[in-house]
Amino acid sequence: MSGTVRMMMTCHWSARRIQRYLDADPSAPLTPGEVARLEAHLAVCERCGPMVAEHRALHRALSLWSGRPYVDPAAVDRVRTFLDELTDGRAS
Amino acid sequence: MTSSADAADDRGRAFRELVEPEIEVMLRVARTMTASDADAEDLVQESLLRAYKGLSRFDGRHPRAWLLTILRNTNANMHRRQRPVLVDDTQLHRESRPAFGAAERPSAEQSFLDEELDEELHAAVAALDARFRSALILVDVHDLSYAEAAAVLDVPVGTVMSRLSRARERLRRTLGPTRLSRGGLS
Ligand SMILES: [Zn+2]
Repeated sequence: MSGTVRMMMTCHWSARRIQRYLDADPSAPLTPGEVARLEAHLAVCERCGPMVAEHRALHRALSLWSGRPYVDPAAVDRVRTFLDELTDGRAS
Repeated sequence: MTSSADAADDRGRAFRELVEPEIEVMLRVARTMTASDADAEDLVQESLLRAYKGLSRFDGRHPRAWLLTILRNTNANMHRRQRPVLVDDTQLHRESRPAFGAAERPSAEQSFLDEELDEELHAAVAALDARFRSALILVDVHDLSYAEAAAVLDVPVGTVMSRLSRARERLRRTLGPTRLSRGGLS
């Protein structure tokens, strides 16, 4: 197997794990072995490495985005008051 | 005070401790399901009422996912017919610049996006298929876990993951490497 083909197969393998790697979500963790293999590939692959950087930038952009719904702190307070009334009513 | 009043007191306290940290995220997610802030607040209150009644059936694990499931069901009941998709276009209407809530943002020094990128992000998110968009909004914008997003959408975790992955890939391609690498975002 040529080096190029092997690299392409690793790109394919990596592409299927990059989102899980970035999210590190408890529902879909990678094994330490997968993380190590993925990171080794990202360090040398000129396709996958920059792609991961772009995904990181995208995630960051979305967290700063003005489309993010704004929640009025007064609304949080009102719900908290509602919660207090809901749970206090029965005790007294 | 009688012992049953004590028990009710404990139950109330336990419920408050469970719910209080989730109020803000419930309001934010509710806002993506409803047309107005007032509706979102009503939806959250109604959901809390139902959650409190059903507290004995809660197994104590993953309170946020539990509350979001109740939020989704309550919304469906309140509207009789289930909305086919979450996160409609009203949510994408331009809101005021996020001058508040800075504590939740990843970095205090850069709390605004470059205006041009912000606009492009609006257009790119709005252009996504609604199912992909809702997964993206819930995970990348609301910071929900896969399981919590699955609870809101009422789909398996694997479905959230595949929709999310397609949404992100589409956005990444739309915005392009130049856009994403500029502005010290990475
Ligand atoms: Zn690669």
